[in-house]
Amino acid sequence: MERISTHQFTMLSAGVLLGTTFFPVAQLAAGAAGRDAWWCVLPAYSSGIPFGLMIYSLMGKYPGKNLLQISEITLGKWAGKLVGLLYILISAYFGALLLSQVADAFRRSVLPFIPVSVYWGGVILLVILLAWGGIEVFARFTEIVFPIIVLGLVATFLLAIPRFEWEEFYPVLGNGLKPVFWGTLKITPFSMEYILFLAGIITFLPTEEQDKRQLKTGIWRSIIIVGVLNTMVTLTEIMVFGPTETQRLNYGVLALGKMVEFARTFAGVESIFMLIWLGAMIIKVGALFFMAFWGMQSVFHIRRQNWKWYFFLGGVFLVLASLPEGGVELLTEITYVDDHLILPFTVSWVLLVWGVERWRKGVSKQ
Amino acid sequence: MLKDLTVRTKSRKIRQAPWTQTDADGEKPLSASRVRAVLGKSSDIVFRDFIMRGAEDIPCSLAVVDGLVDKSILDEFVLKVLMFDLTRQPELIRKLTTASAPKIIMERLAPANEMRQISKLGDALDAILSGDAVLFFGESATALVIGVRAWPNRGVNEPETESAIRGPREGFTETLRINTTMLRRKIKNPSLHFISLKIGTITRTDIVVVYIENLAQQDVVDEVMRRLQKIEMDGVLESGYLEEMIEDSPYSPFPQVHFTERPDVVAADLLEGKVAVIVDGTPIVLVVPAVLARFLQASEDYYERAMVVILVRFIRYLGTVVALLSPSIYIATTTFHQEILPTSLALNVAMGREGVPFPALLEALFMILALEILQEAGIRLPRASGQAIGIVGALVVGDAAVKGGLASPIMVVVIGLTAISSYTIPSYDLGIAIRLLRFPLMILAGTMGFFGIGLGMYGLLIHLVSMRSFGTPYLSPMAPLRIRALLQDTFFRVPWWALKRRPDLLDTDEPNLGGKK
Repeated sequence: MERISTHQFTMLSAGVLLGTTFFPVAQLAAGAAGRDAWWCVLPAYSSGIPFGLMIYSLMGKYPGKNLLQISEITLGKWAGKLVGLLYILISAYFGALLLSQVADAFRRSVLPFIPVSVYWGGVILLVILLAWGGIEVFARFTEIVFPIIVLGLVATFLLAIPRFEWEEFYPVLGNGLKPVFWGTLKITPFSMEYILFLAGIITFLPTEEQDKRQLKTGIWRSIIIVGVLNTMVTLTEIMVFGPTETQRLNYGVLALGKMVEFARTFAGVESIFMLIWLGAMIIKVGALFFMAFWGMQSVFHIRRQNWKWYFFLGGVFLVLASLPEGGVELLTEITYVDDHLILPFTVSWVLLVWGVERWRKGVSKQ
Repeated sequence: MLKDLTVRTKSRKIRQAPWTQTDADGEKPLSASRVRAVLGKSSDIVFRDFIMRGAEDIPCSLAVVDGLVDKSILDEFVLKVLMFDLTRQPELIRKLTTASAPKIIMERLAPANEMRQISKLGDALDAILSGDAVLFFGESATALVIGVRAWPNRGVNEPETESAIRGPREGFTETLRINTTMLRRKIKNPSLHFISLKIGTITRTDIVVVYIENLAQQDVVDEVMRRLQKIEMDGVLESGYLEEMIEDSPYSPFPQVHFTERPDVVAADLLEGKVAVIVDGTPIVLVVPAVLARFLQASEDYYERAMVVILVRFIRYLGTVVALLSPSIYIATTTFHQEILPTSLALNVAMGREGVPFPALLEALFMILALEILQEAGIRLPRASGQAIGIVGALVVGDAAVKGGLASPIMVVVIGLTAISSYTIPSYDLGIAIRLLRFPLMILAGTMGFFGIGLGMYGLLIHLVSMRSFGTPYLSPMAPLRIRALLQDTFFRVPWWALKRRPDLLDTDEPNLGGKK
């Protein structure tokens, strides 16, 4: 049985939680909260903590089982299978949308003439390789790539400082807390995507007592790291573009990259940043691929070491990725899946399984 | 000849098999006539027959391979003793019979320091062919092996492929025993173990596995032994044979077994808990487990001062990246991403490429292929000719290519930079891997720009993180992260006085006792 260390879990959590959320985070938050958008990010991510802790508490009671398998025990076999099917569908569809976003981001920024199928095919091939390698390989990959993504985001922030228009910062909370609340709600699904991943990965986590404590800290840490990073991204976009332009830009971070200039020599280094963001895309699509595969393993009991299932799932991703058009339609679809599928499904599923478990515990005590 | 030697079991079915140790013959009881029957056809095998006086006349036969033994030792301490000195000891003569001879000679007569009794045909053949003398007593099933190995060997010289400005000037030789001696001289500790085995059903090559007990993980030692013992091949003529047989990922371009000619390097690796494999007949010693970072370190890193090493290692890492990526980045930039170049540079590049009829990808492939041909041509020539080839390649061909409109001046600069950077890689094997990987990356860059480079690099990263060398993740200590090992002795090296604990890269059995104090 594969196992990852607590440090790898933290890095993997942070990598999956961040994923490609730095593309839409500022746009979505600014849409609801205007110039106070950066206030929304940390609370939105923090909303994932209680759900993470609920899953963590279930992990202690059902060691070696993921939430799908726990659901079959607590909710009954068929209800569990139904939940598993929904989990597969959501993971596969959302993963395919993000795969489609890879092509969209590249075509709209640095490489407009390369066919979309090349982007999809290239990324899905890497994702299949990662999945075939297993969770240990995925964890090691994230251990290397995530710090580079963080460096990329920090560099974007630092290099954008000369373009800051400080008057965009004020007035702070000029419209009160209500827009911040709506903005927070708008980004909350990002943390729920991670909760879905956590629901599957718990089987691979260390089970020693000391490790368990560190895992709890890992959940906190990753959420705070990613919350701070995305707050930084949002703040940068607001300060450089202003709230109205931030709302309009689909890929604000790419636009920031385009504006970077080193000492009047090198400019337009967005293509180099795109190399880094590609790593983030691979992590996110890879995580969703893993989730869909775990779902298939739980529901259909397929074997892990069988190439055909990987290619089958890869094929499904490719077909689904070809459905939406790029641009605004794609981003609307991603937001729609986030708001109307991932958020309600995750909240109700985790609460239900955790609640039933608590209720049973109460009954057995009586 | 090589092909014949490496014929595997399958092909033996269709032709006459040579005698092998695994045959039932090897286990047969010993007799002088059986040995003669097996070895007698070879002109280099010498059977010296004589009569030893005893209670009865004992017909003796001494079998050796001419050229593999020290004849003066044989004459002085075996033949002279048994044929002449013995006659002065009537008490011993009375006791001496064919049956008692081996024991009496060992205990009371011959003053040779390496002697043992054998009773199997295979043991006798092994001993004779390895350079020992075997003394037979009539048709008795017991014989004596006398250690008199001596053959001409190359002296201990500084290895040409791993020369160092600072550090020992000695290198391993082709003789296994000299190599083990060099290690024993460096590590005078009873925990240093040498485990011998023979590999090669025909060549019967001597192999020694070296490790320090309690420093090396027993699992790793066992795994090395298990993999070596599983090898079934006709001959082992160089440690490279074994390297390919014991590595974890045979289809990877990356080296997974570190090799060196320097005893100080092997000793340092043993002190870090690694396991070495010495093969008779080659000065190249294998060391496992090997992680990627190890291939970017040189022995001098530990002899120079830490501050200097930090700079040198940085240059090495940078050189590796440049060697791998510079042609691809040139191709991607000139083909797809001109926007990242400053305007003046972009104009210069465009002007330089004006007369070049090929796309950047073909231009770069042509130049890189020319570089590879020059390197390969120069490597096996005598040093002076090799240098001349290098100069001709760099100056004449490069200049002619630019003047003839085959390549742009910037391309020549890029290729030159690539070539020079690749020489910063201390490991030849890793250098080869980088050279090999340049081609697919260039093609990806030429067809998909930076996205292609990204695909290639992330693909490479996935490959690297999925690799292991004898249980140790190949990218350790970066992934999985071992923070102490990473900060102490990977990208940097802290001063010796700060290296209080062994890097826990290999999870050695005693991580806290301090290896590099």
